[in-house]
Amino acid sequence: MNHIRNFCIIAHIDHGKSTLADRLIQRCGAVEDREFRDQILDSMDLERERGITIKANTVTLPYTARDGKTYELNLIDTPGHVDFSHEVRRSLMSCEGALLVVDASQGVEAQTVANLYLAMEFGLTVVPVINKIDLPSAEIDRVMEEIDRDLGLDPFESIQVSAKMGTGIDDLLEAIVTKLPPPKGDPEAPLKALLFDAQYDSYRGAVLLVRLFDGTLKVPTRVRLMHSDAEHKVEEVGNQTLKRVPVKQLSAGEVGYVLAGMKSLAGLAIGDTLTEADRPAAEPVPGYREAKPVVFSSLYPMSTDDYEELTKALEKLKLNDASLIYEKDSSAALGFGFRCGFLGLLHLDVVQARLEREYDLSLILSAPSVRYRIVLNDDREVWIDNPSFYPDPASIKEAYEPYIKAAIMTPERYLGAVMELCRERRGVETTYTFLAAGRMEVTSQLPLAEVLFDFYDRLKSITQGYGSFDYEMLDYRLGDMVKVDILVNGEKVDALSQLVHREFSRPRALRYCERLAKKIPRQQFKIAIQGAIGGQIIARSTINPFRKDVTAKCYGGDISRKRKLLEKQKEGKKKMKMVGNVEIPQSAFVSVLKTEDDNDDE
Amino acid sequence: MEAASPVRRRFTSRLIAEVALAAPGWQDPHPFDTVYFGGGTPSQLPAGELARILDACRSHLAFATPAPWVFLEANPEDVTPEACAAWRALGVRTLSLGVQSFSDEALRFLGRRHDGPQAQAAVRTALAAGFDTVSVDLIFGLRGQTAEDWQRDLAAAVVLEPQHVSCYQLTIHERTRFGVLAKQGQLSEMPEEQQAALFDLTHRFLADAGWPAYEVSNFARGEAHQSRHNRKYWDHTPYLGLGPSAHSLAAPDAGATARRWWNERATPKWEARLASGERPVEAEERLGPKELAEEALLLGLRTTAGIDLASWQRRFRADLLATNATLVSRLVDEGRIVVTRQRLVPTLAGLAVADGLAAAFDLPASV
Repeated sequence: MNHIRNFCIIAHIDHGKSTLADRLIQRCGAVEDREFRDQILDSMDLERERGITIKANTVTLPYTARDGKTYELNLIDTPGHVDFSHEVRRSLMSCEGALLVVDASQGVEAQTVANLYLAMEFGLTVVPVINKIDLPSAEIDRVMEEIDRDLGLDPFESIQVSAKMGTGIDDLLEAIVTKLPPPKGDPEAPLKALLFDAQYDSYRGAVLLVRLFDGTLKVPTRVRLMHSDAEHKVEEVGNQTLKRVPVKQLSAGEVGYVLAGMKSLAGLAIGDTLTEADRPAAEPVPGYREAKPVVFSSLYPMSTDDYEELTKALEKLKLNDASLIYEKDSSAALGFGFRCGFLGLLHLDVVQARLEREYDLSLILSAPSVRYRIVLNDDREVWIDNPSFYPDPASIKEAYEPYIKAAIMTPERYLGAVMELCRERRGVETTYTFLAAGRMEVTSQLPLAEVLFDFYDRLKSITQGYGSFDYEMLDYRLGDMVKVDILVNGEKVDALSQLVHREFSRPRALRYCERLAKKIPRQQFKIAIQGAIGGQIIARSTINPFRKDVTAKCYGGDISRKRKLLEKQKEGKKKMKMVGNVEIPQSAFVSVLKTEDDNDDE
Repeated sequence: MEAASPVRRRFTSRLIAEVALAAPGWQDPHPFDTVYFGGGTPSQLPAGELARILDACRSHLAFATPAPWVFLEANPEDVTPEACAAWRALGVRTLSLGVQSFSDEALRFLGRRHDGPQAQAAVRTALAAGFDTVSVDLIFGLRGQTAEDWQRDLAAAVVLEPQHVSCYQLTIHERTRFGVLAKQGQLSEMPEEQQAALFDLTHRFLADAGWPAYEVSNFARGEAHQSRHNRKYWDHTPYLGLGPSAHSLAAPDAGATARRWWNERATPKWEARLASGERPVEAEERLGPKELAEEALLLGLRTTAGIDLASWQRRFRADLLATNATLVSRLVDEGRIVVTRQRLVPTLAGLAVADGLAAAFDLPASV
């Protein structure tokens, strides 16, 4: 057990975590140079493209240290986005140590702090790593000061590397061996293994990634998942290098994979504990928390013919994304679709992008919503995440909305703008503290609903990209919500209905009307676009019909040209949604649901 | 009489060769009751050449008796009493004059060789020559043209009392002189609101003056003067087109399906193929009920007679109104169409957006 090190790399987005992981993998020879491609752990195209890790990956690296001994380094990758913080927790729990990466020019960011606190919460030994020291803009001294002041870590313990150039990697590997503690555990005790991640393999089904705290795991033990209370027979265990390598057994302190004949990830809960069915552990690994969706949106196929395709695609996606939940939904305007729950907006983005890219679907999404707690006059309590099911306002006694605690890091010069942003978004108890020279941390209690709308983009823009943001769910608080409907020529487009704070209802309704008016092509009759609360119209815009749209000459050859043009137009029309007789292009739906202040003058 | 240049003589000979090549494939049982000389400047061909072409057609194709109605497009500068007499002798009954405008300024801008007084003189000469129908072609929608400018042009036309007027809104096509000017920023189409206003003015003015529209761009003093040739394009009557880029249509089974083919666009290519004894057809398309229905819709909506619903239903075995019930009621409310028991008729506001109307209608799925 002394030659095992379980560690993760935690970093703010863009600080070079994936590149650093690549370099460690390469240096340990876990992959041939010619097989190498950047950001090996980010196996989804989408991850590589966006430079973020969505699903955690794990790899076992053999490393021969300067003491001549060979160590088994288990690098447990963590997702880099706040939406996936529950997964981060599972990953951290599987480690004894963490490399905390700080960008040599960007310095300590909100997530860096948040991640450090998390790591400390789980009692990890943290080694600070200053990355990108090759950059001309690198300010190593300043960053060391921040590490000292903002993170309370010894800056002289930090390792300076350039993952891109490969400098400092040997020192870093040595530090992993010497500074991080080996795992502890009792191989003889009843099995206690944390399920910290699961992947889907199209041939083998669910691949469970586990960290063993006690006991051993081998074929053909019957294991029990303590929280979901399901039993399975182990078919294979092994180490996950870049490929899966079966081993005879895994024992306490080790990290590895388990195949147990599970067809999909459905029903698997990350954070669950595996134990032996015949000799169960007394207690599961502590800290289990169910991953709960916080953002809800309905997905509709642009063409109703694609509903079957969408159904299949979601089923497949669900196989390797257990956190995605969905159920059938239908819209008067858009037909059949699915109501989906997501861990956050990024998760929603990722799911949408995967459906569109990997399954070639064209989708319309309804406005994302949080889940509200509604107390009715008869004291019944209902949870509403779909504006379509919002109860009659007269029947509502009280409505509660979820709040988050946001931690925002910003250079001092943008403090005013950040405070203003929080205020605009109904933030309360907004406070700030000085971190290091010129850096501030702003904390604010914000309604989650207000953060759904482009909060992060706005933050980035008002801080010229320097601001960073992390959040955790706080509680539910009394709110004053109204349901804003959008009507096109008098017909309600239910997918565009939104629950909005009363204060914002009019400006938001107006903005939607204006955006729709810009995106809906002019037609043969006047189109009225209205925003309404109940029967009351609160916003309106109009699209005037064409007044001249006819070619002057139509003889002989003109006719054929004209017909072909018409056929093309009608083909395009199929890609639009008809609401009443108004053709609404997908871009109109997208524009409405897009963030607040972006320019859509394309 | 003026002798033809060698180039023109060669062109005529090729055209005659084409008649001979095309005739055996022309299976339509109906005799030709119209002949249209148009596109380019047929008035520049000496009457002798026109006669050679007509003779060739007469000997290879079945002509209606006593004679087909012959149309000729002419440039005002070619219109003389002598030329008119010669054309009349050939059987020309409609002379269509490419006047474009009676304003010198506009004509210079359009790059025409004639001026306003010449245009007026040409119309008078043609009328005096006793053609059944004299038609005046005008262009509107030049950038900067005011309603007054245009109305002056219209008034100048009606005061001459031609039997037919065509008013085309200027459209700029790429790879034309206008297209080049537009690219250089020297020319542009008029903003939609102004186009609409001039379109409206055109129709109201001419209707009040006694030349009601029968199509988007065509106006006649009574039904007898409507272009019986152009109407064929609009109701899928078969026609045979000869010459560069000419289109033809054959509809063997009473309009249930059709075949359309067209000649090489470029004159040298067209000539070269004929020189080697080939038919100069560039390509063809087959029109099934769906394509024909689409065309019938778009063409019908361009005419003041609109769409005869019963015959549309008989022809395509589908109910256009039932498929588009909500649209139709909305368009009626909007004042773009009128629906009577037999017909779906565009209003003036509807004619102005006929292309858009055609796009808005769905074809019944059964077509």
